[in-house]
Parts: sequence; structure tokens; C-alpha cells
Amino acid sequence: MKRFDTTVTSIRPVAEGCFELRFDWPDDAGVPAPGRFFTIKAGGRYDPVLRRPFAFSGYAPPVAGERDGEAAFIFQVRGRGTEFLAALKPGDPLDVLGPLGRGFGKPPRGTRPMLVAGGIGMGPMLYLAAALGADAKAGLCEAPMLVIGVRSAGFIPDVELPAGTVICTDDGSSGFHGTVTEWLAGFDPGLPPVFYACGPAPMMAAVDRLAEVRSAPFEAALEQWMACGVGACAGCAVALKSGRYIKTCVDGPVYDGRLVDWGAAL
Amino acid sequence: MSGTSSGTARGMVPAKLDLTVRIGDLVMQNPVGVASGTFGYGEEYEDLVDIDCLGALYTKAVTPEPRPGNPAPRLADTPAGMLNSIGLANPGLDAFIADKLPRLRARRCAVIVNVAGGTEDDYLRVLDALEAQDGIVGYEINISCPNVAHGGLSFGTDPVQVERLTRRLVDAVGSRAMAGAEARCDRLAGRGRRPLIVKLSPNVTDIAAIAKAAEAGGAVALSCINTLVGMVIDIKTKRPVLAMGSGGLSGPAIRPVGVAMVYKASHAVSIPVIGLGGISDADDALQYLLAGAVAIQVGTAIFSRPEAPLEILAGIREFMEREGIEQVADIRKLLR
Repeated sequence: MKRFDTTVTSIRPVAEGCFELRFDWPDDAGVPAPGRFFTIKAGGRYDPVLRRPFAFSGYAPPVAGERDGEAAFIFQVRGRGTEFLAALKPGDPLDVLGPLGRGFGKPPRGTRPMLVAGGIGMGPMLYLAAALGADAKAGLCEAPMLVIGVRSAGFIPDVELPAGTVICTDDGSSGFHGTVTEWLAGFDPGLPPVFYACGPAPMMAAVDRLAEVRSAPFEAALEQWMACGVGACAGCAVALKSGRYIKTCVDGPVYDGRLVDWGAAL
Repeated sequence: MSGTSSGTARGMVPAKLDLTVRIGDLVMQNPVGVASGTFGYGEEYEDLVDIDCLGALYTKAVTPEPRPGNPAPRLADTPAGMLNSIGLANPGLDAFIADKLPRLRARRCAVIVNVAGGTEDDYLRVLDALEAQDGIVGYEINISCPNVAHGGLSFGTDPVQVERLTRRLVDAVGSRAMAGAEARCDRLAGRGRRPLIVKLSPNVTDIAAIAKAAEAGGAVALSCINTLVGMVIDIKTKRPVLAMGSGGLSGPAIRPVGVAMVYKASHAVSIPVIGLGGISDADDALQYLLAGAVAIQVGTAIFSRPEAPLEILAGIREFMEREGIEQVADIRKLLR
């Protein structure tokens, strides 16, 4: 973990109101694994105060003598922090703290990694899909399957998607007409599934029910407002079904989705 | 960073800067502390901040029993600030002593434990247990948390209760031999009492009256200010953003409130006042020191920029060199 000043390398729109931003990732900051995150100071000296957390949507390691490492994330313009980010240009400075938190675990052999992404939650799932796709090619796990749910065709990200990616739209304007969980309910993964998901609480609650029915593990990437990002302030608490709270920043953001109280997050 | 400043409008560069701060029997190596609740127990920030260079570390509040904290969401973004409603989430007294204190003892900065509770006896239980532990140089008494239903703020708004609680707690803190980390911070060495610092709420009509009550009860110093009560409502959902409805406002937005309250409190009492509230940079810290604070705490700014406390310390040094001031305690004399 490190706080560092770096440089925007590219920024481009990838869907309605959504951008992909890439920036130089220094070697000595540590490797950003899928599911882990970083925070950005998105604004001036005094405002906004809270750094904005984002999960990595991709990472390209440095090539000696050729180029630095490069990290990427996808964000939706929702408020003044993301408005600031959307106005950045290549070459602009970026204040980053990371890598933070716990990432995704590896799927056990003989299981089908089912990657479920809802809306802007697709960032970490795209990175995980790429990483597990490479693992599968190397014979380390079964081929992952990525299922993306968005409101309509305009929200499908203009990024390279793995072959076989399933798109679900709420309005039927592209792909399967319905939610990701409706699609999953009618799908036979062939092998015992392992669910990985990031998205809005109703979708996560539905994946939780599906995982329960299929007695499958469920690794959930949590989203919550944060202040410190390092486990000091307890601001990013998320409730578990047991009544206990966890800190999204250090206990997560990837946590056992079967234990999370998704009802409390709704 | 120090000692090499060029000549200035005010004249001579002081030969040696004295940044030490005296609070009762306690000596801090410099006036910059990190505020309770924003820095955990220090270990969380080990990779990002050279903790030994700080003047003081005020721990997250310790209560007798573990507290899970308030329902989520606990945070909201506000103009030049933030709201929090953490609810004094902490592992409790026993876990603090077993799991957190050993690493705190090894720190070279002054470790001041923030103490909270729902009843007077809660505060006493924590103090009694901590008095048997070494490695702590003082106590900050949180009588002003806005996020706890019983106690906390309710203690902090009534002068009669403030004086009574302070007196009971002062009586519980005895004279002791200083050892280890305590002796490192306390350059007077030998015996001393851990100072009781009462943290005041800004959510009162007259902070001078509360400050005087704490002084009358025997407080060695005051911390001023805790957060201001605030609320953010989401106009789409028509609900408050925080699960608890309201929370404590902190950040640059509250700095002018804090400076005014430190000015008022420090002129109402003769005990030292430690200033905090929205300090983001050295200029902010200097406003507090000019207003009458003997030391400051950095809180919310650490979330924005973990380096902020030590950058502020460097900025205070530069100001002293520029102004030709040897003692940090003399900054307040510059106020016109």
C-alpha cells in the first residue's frame, strides 16, 4: 500500500455516462490483484474530502525498458467526484492510494467460475474474467463464464469482452431480456458453480439465493462509501446476517457473499 | 525542512526551534497530533505515515465493552466535509489492552487514549484498567460524541455534569513512576500524573461555560472541538443518507467554527487548549495556534492525504523560522 502521484494515460467513454480511465501504476506500489481497489483524491485541496474508491478493471504489468505498469478502472458519473474524473485528460496528475483490501480467491478445480456483473459493478468482474481466462488457458481452472446485466444496450461497455459473455438487458434492447439472475436460473453450468459477483444490492441478494439453492460458494465484491480505506475509521461498515459488521476496506471488498446481510444494504 | 530558512521580513532566524508542548506533566515532542477516530490505533497507517515523528496519537475511543457501532451507511459526503456516524465502534477495553496497546507502547510519540462511555461508571472502568498499564501518557475524555444515544454528547452539554464527571475521573488518575514510552515522551522523567484532557462539543450554546466547568473539575487540558451535528437527505429516496439520520460533521467546512471556539475557550480558562476541527494544512493549524491553542490535532484531512500531519509540522517549523519564533508556545502571542 502506497500513496503516490501518478499520471493519466488515457480516458475514454465506454457506455452511457461511463468512462474507462487508465493510469501509470508504479512497480513499487504492489500488484493490483482482481477484486482489490484503490482510492483517488478526486478534486481540489479542500473538496471533496472523501477519496473515491474504485476496483481495478484491468492491469498491465511493466515491460522492462519499454513501458511502465498500467492500471485501469471503469466509473459512472454520479456526483462531483466522478465529474472531476470525467474531465481529466491524458497527462493529468492523479493522486492514488493503493492497492487496498482483499481480492478474489481462486476457484477450486472442477468448478465453473460464474462471474456476475451488474451495471457499474462490471469493472472488477472484467478484470477477474481476464485473469481466470488466462488461468483456464494454463489449465489451472475451468473456463469462467461472464454474465453482465445492464439497463439497456447503451450501457453495454465498449471493451473487449471474453468470448461467450452473456449480456442481459432490463428492457430487452440487447441480448437476454431480463435480469442476470433470471438468466442464471435457466442455465446449467455443467459443473458445480462458484459465484463471483459485483453489482447493486438486489442483484447480490438474488445471487445469494441462487448460491444457497445450488450450495455454491459466493465471493461478493462489496461497494460502500469509505473514508480512510485502511481499516482505521470503521466508516465503510457492511452488516452481516449474524448482526456483526465488517469493514469493506480491509475485511473486503471481496467477502463471503453468503454471510452478508443484503437486506440491510437495500 | 528546518534551520536553513533565509532571512525574513521579521528578522533573525532562531538558532534552535523548540516545538515541544507541555500539558501538565506530559511533554510532547511537537504540537501535531492525529485525532481520535481518524487514525485507528496507529497500526493501520504504518505503511503511510512515520508515526514516531508525530507529536501525539489519540486512539480511537475505548469503551468498557466491545461496541459493534451504528448501522450502515455511516458516512456521507458534504461540501468541504463529511458526516460520520460510526457509533464508537471499538473492540472494548480488554481487547484494546491485549491487542492494541502492545504496539502502541513501542511508539515514540505521545500515546493518548480516548475514553468514552454511556455512564460515569463506564469512563471510570476504562480509566481504572488503563491506570494499571504502562505506555500511555494521557487520557482524552470524550464527553462530546454526537453519535451515541446515551452519554457522550449528553454529558458534554451540561456544565454541572461536565464538572462532576471530570472531578470523578481526575480523582481516579494517580501519580505514577514514568517508564518506557511514557518516560520518552515525558522528558521531565520521574513521577507524574497522566493528564486528563476533556474533549469538548461545539454543539452547545456557550463553550466557555463548559470549558470552565471542565477546568473547575480538574481537567489538565481541553480538546476543542468535536464534530458538529449535521444531516444530509437524499432527495431521490427522501431519506437521510446516514442510517442513524444525523451524524458528526468534520472537515475544512468546520474550521472557522473550531477556530472561534478555541479562541473563546482558551480565553475563558487558564489550562491549555488543544485545537482541532478541519485542519488540512499548516495555515489552518497556525490559525488555531494563533487563536490560543497550544497544540493541534489533524483528523479528517488524513483521509484525504495521509501525509497531512507531518506536512503540517514542517509548515509550522517554516512559519516559526520566518517569524523568528523559537518556542511554538509563543505563536499565540502574535495574535493582534
